[in-house]
Amino acid sequence: MKILVALKRVADPANHNKVKIPAAGDKIDTAGLEWQINPFDLYALETALRLTEDGKAPKTRLGEVVAVTLGPAETETNLRSALATGADRAIRVDTTDDALDGRLVAAALQKLVEEEKPDLVLMGKQVVDGENNYVGQALAELLDWPMATFAATIKEEAGGLLVGREVDGGVSTLRVKFPAVVTVDLRIVAPDSVRSSKTAEGFKYPYEEVRFAPLPAIMQAKKKPLAVKKLADLVGGATLSSKYVKFEAPPARKAGVKVKDVQELVQKLATEAKAI
Amino acid sequence: MVDTSVSFMSSLCMGIIEEQVLIPYPAMAAEQKETLHGVIDSVKQLLGPRAEDFRKWDRAGEMPAAFVEELKQFGLFGLVIPEEFGGMGFKSASYARTLQEIAKYDASVAVTVGAHSSIGMRGLLLFGTPEQKQRYLPKLATGEMIAAFALTEAGAGSDAAALKTRAERDGDGWVLTGNKLWITNGGIADFFTVFARTGELEGKPHITAFIVTRDMPGVSVGTHEDKMGLRASSTTTVHFDGVRVPAENVLGEENKGFKVAMAILNNGRTGLGGGAIGAMKKLIEHSTKYANERKTFGKSIREYGMIKLKVGQMVVDCYATEAAVEMVAALIDGGYEDYAVEAAISKVFASEALWHTADEALQIAGGNGYMCEYPYERMIRDARINRIFEGTNEILRLFIALTAMNDVGSQLKELSSSMRGLFDDPIKGFGVLRQYALKHASLVTGIPRARSRFTLVSPELHEATTVFEELTRHLAAAVDRILRKHGRNIIGKQLASRRLANIMIDLFVLACVISRVNASLAALGAEKAAKEVDILKVFSGQVERRVKHAFGLIDINDDELIKGLADHAFDAEKFSWDNV
Ligand SMILES: Cc1cc2nc3c(=O)[nH]c(=O)nc-3n(C[C@H](O)[C@H](O)[C@H](O)COP(=O)(O)OP(=O)(O)OC[C@H]3O[C@@H](n4cnc5c(N)ncnc54)[C@H](O)[C@@H]3O)c2cc1C
Ligand SMILES: Cc1cc2nc3c(=O)[nH]c(=O)nc-3n(C[C@H](O)[C@H](O)[C@H](O)COP(=O)(O)OP(=O)(O)OC[C@H]3O[C@@H](n4cnc5c(N)ncnc54)[C@H](O)[C@@H]3O)c2cc1C
Repeated sequence: MKILVALKRVADPANHNKVKIPAAGDKIDTAGLEWQINPFDLYALETALRLTEDGKAPKTRLGEVVAVTLGPAETETNLRSALATGADRAIRVDTTDDALDGRLVAAALQKLVEEEKPDLVLMGKQVVDGENNYVGQALAELLDWPMATFAATIKEEAGGLLVGREVDGGVSTLRVKFPAVVTVDLRIVAPDSVRSSKTAEGFKYPYEEVRFAPLPAIMQAKKKPLAVKKLADLVGGATLSSKYVKFEAPPARKAGVKVKDVQELVQKLATEAKAI
Repeated sequence: MVDTSVSFMSSLCMGIIEEQVLIPYPAMAAEQKETLHGVIDSVKQLLGPRAEDFRKWDRAGEMPAAFVEELKQFGLFGLVIPEEFGGMGFKSASYARTLQEIAKYDASVAVTVGAHSSIGMRGLLLFGTPEQKQRYLPKLATGEMIAAFALTEAGAGSDAAALKTRAERDGDGWVLTGNKLWITNGGIADFFTVFARTGELEGKPHITAFIVTRDMPGVSVGTHEDKMGLRASSTTTVHFDGVRVPAENVLGEENKGFKVAMAILNNGRTGLGGGAIGAMKKLIEHSTKYANERKTFGKSIREYGMIKLKVGQMVVDCYATEAAVEMVAALIDGGYEDYAVEAAISKVFASEALWHTADEALQIAGGNGYMCEYPYERMIRDARINRIFEGTNEILRLFIALTAMNDVGSQLKELSSSMRGLFDDPIKGFGVLRQYALKHASLVTGIPRARSRFTLVSPELHEATTVFEELTRHLAAAVDRILRKHGRNIIGKQLASRRLANIMIDLFVLACVISRVNASLAALGAEKAAKEVDILKVFSGQVERRVKHAFGLIDINDDELIKGLADHAFDAEKFSWDNV
């Protein structure tokens, strides 16, 4: 199976207080931020690796995983890290965050998918910076491929996947045929959430969350191919369809008040908060 | 081209500031940084979740074999082994940085990896024949073999030349007999770098280094020692009972084992330094969190001057230690021939800065600091060994001072031939410094002025460079004065040597801090480098006061009085005054 995994770097959510907006409000000042791969995208990578191996012998790779990102040269660090973790190849589309919106990202990915012809595109359900929850769905639409979002479990079947999605009040199970786009949720990295056709039923991965690269793999990753493409070569003259008008920090939260009883609470909700 | 035969400290003792050795401050290539980011990330994921285990294993006094196996699988034993042999091929800078990361989580793990890479197999790396490397390096890289360094014996610690383990010729090989003490990794090692006596000349022992493997008949190890700190790391005796070692297992030249041992210790120094930095950074994290949260007298204790003083000093010390260790790594990696004094300085400074940091961190935590539930008491126990092993700080201070005086002395042409080679055997060499001091013309006057100044440092750091230049002139004068005053008796004048060593330690570290801050200033600009400039201001002020004080004590001091008190106590073997 050939899987394309899309990764985006995000500012470390633990350091969100370092995000600064200049007085002009024309941009986000990213200097001094620490970057990491969007956690949901790491889960997508882990899912891709699990789908291309027999869980009990993960060193033998049984498929191909291609990691893709759109970003400046620094993001190659994130791609190298994906390669060290187990991806076979990487592609960086050279651009910067402020030159992108969800539609452009989906359009660029569409082009890459048409070139690479994977059986499956795996993505995080959303990024933890913009929280857009958009690109996976848009890509499936552009490709006109079947789609399953918020995957919590994935079992490989002949010619497709059985995807369990956690929805309000239960689990909905979808059967998607290849080629397909699947976006993953947090639960996908539980020890028995993903099963490739080679992995035995009942097998549990010996760790929670995602695998990490042993040191020799970090050196080997340097030798794995990493291609760089120009955004314009993928999307032609397409331009941003959403424009950033102004950036501002959310207003600081006001201190709360204590109410003495339910009556006062209801009254305040109605008159002050205007929430009811 | 850089002249790699220059020794910064040796020149400094003659009043010359070889600034191009230390400036610009070493910077890592982008690719090296990227690799380290990967390593740091992976180490965090491997060791981060094990905090509870490390606590447990410290109590138990052992780490489980299954965990050592995990370390092997992870690749931690291949750090300094060339890639062609399956290792990571790290030079000193990346190696020190990696040990720093490991030490943030657990000192026992750091020393297990460190004893293997810094000293256990470093002799093979530095002196091994192509066949020896081919035979052992691939296995050492995967951890299939873990390495240990076996020099110390019951009667031979600092005085390593007193070792009794013997190697007798037997046909085309050797037979080894003797007992080694406190060998790190003893219980888990398969590869030992062993030092044994192979003869003597004019009362001086000849020592040879051998590669001995655990599977050779006659090799055995004792039980795990019950230690103060590093409790989960393996420390054992190692015994050689008529072990037949083939001739091809001689490491380096026969009878040149001392040179091998010293080269290993010098070359591996940045491992210990890196570990100390990791522990200090962790302690700063603990202390700042604690002080932010703890309230007394209605205020958070971070508000109090005396707590700020402790934390501020921790920051200065950590920055300075890192500057010195990274600089020594750059000297080693840059192919400098003579960095032994600078490396020794980094070890002494790092181990003492860590000790001070650990002590103050515990103090900030008050009574909690004393409780095993908190990390401080373990970190202080783990930190203590650094001032003892890989050469005690006393021995290293003697080495630093006497090497400088030897170098200064040997600059005089008439004496240079008789001085050469004396310090190949630095510890025993102390006994043979020649009478040159009295003939010693003043060195200070003949030095071209330009070379006693910094020219490559930003004028914004003028204050610190001026201090450094002034202290350097004093240093050259002090070496001169001490040599004149004590002549050949300098060997017996340890307190004079110690004073000189302390001055040299402070000056080298200050030079490293100047270089580091200078680089940050250039890269970040005055505004963003402001705090680093403050670190330099504080540190250079402290160095200036300490060094000037020490200069003052060269001629007038209480040395003889205090030694007299010690002798009095030695004779009585107790404190002699009792008011009841
Ligand atoms: C946990 C641990 C791990 C170790 N790991 C290893 C290892 O892997 N391999 C190995 O070979 N060794 C190892 N050692 C041994 C260590 O290197 C020695 O303990 C060290 O060299 C000091 O020797 P010693 O203990 O015999 O002290 P001594 O040499 O007896 O020194 C006692 C004191 O006297 C001082 N002193 C000695 N001579 C002089 C002098 N001329 N002038 C002034 N002061 C002096 C010393 O500084 C010290 O304070 C380890 C030790 C420990 C505790
Ligand atoms: C083994 C042990 C036995 C003990 N036995 C007893 C006992 O028998 N009876 C008893 O009552 N107590 C006992 N104690 C408690 C002991 O007296 C306290 O730990 C001690 O008073 C410090 O208080 P603390 O631990 O709360 O530290 P904190 O008061 O929280 O102090 C933390 C740090 O902040 C510093 N600090 C606090 N306030 C200021 C300030 N205004 N300015 C500058 N610095 C400040 C402190 O010096 C310390 O370094 C014991 C403690 C231990 C560890």
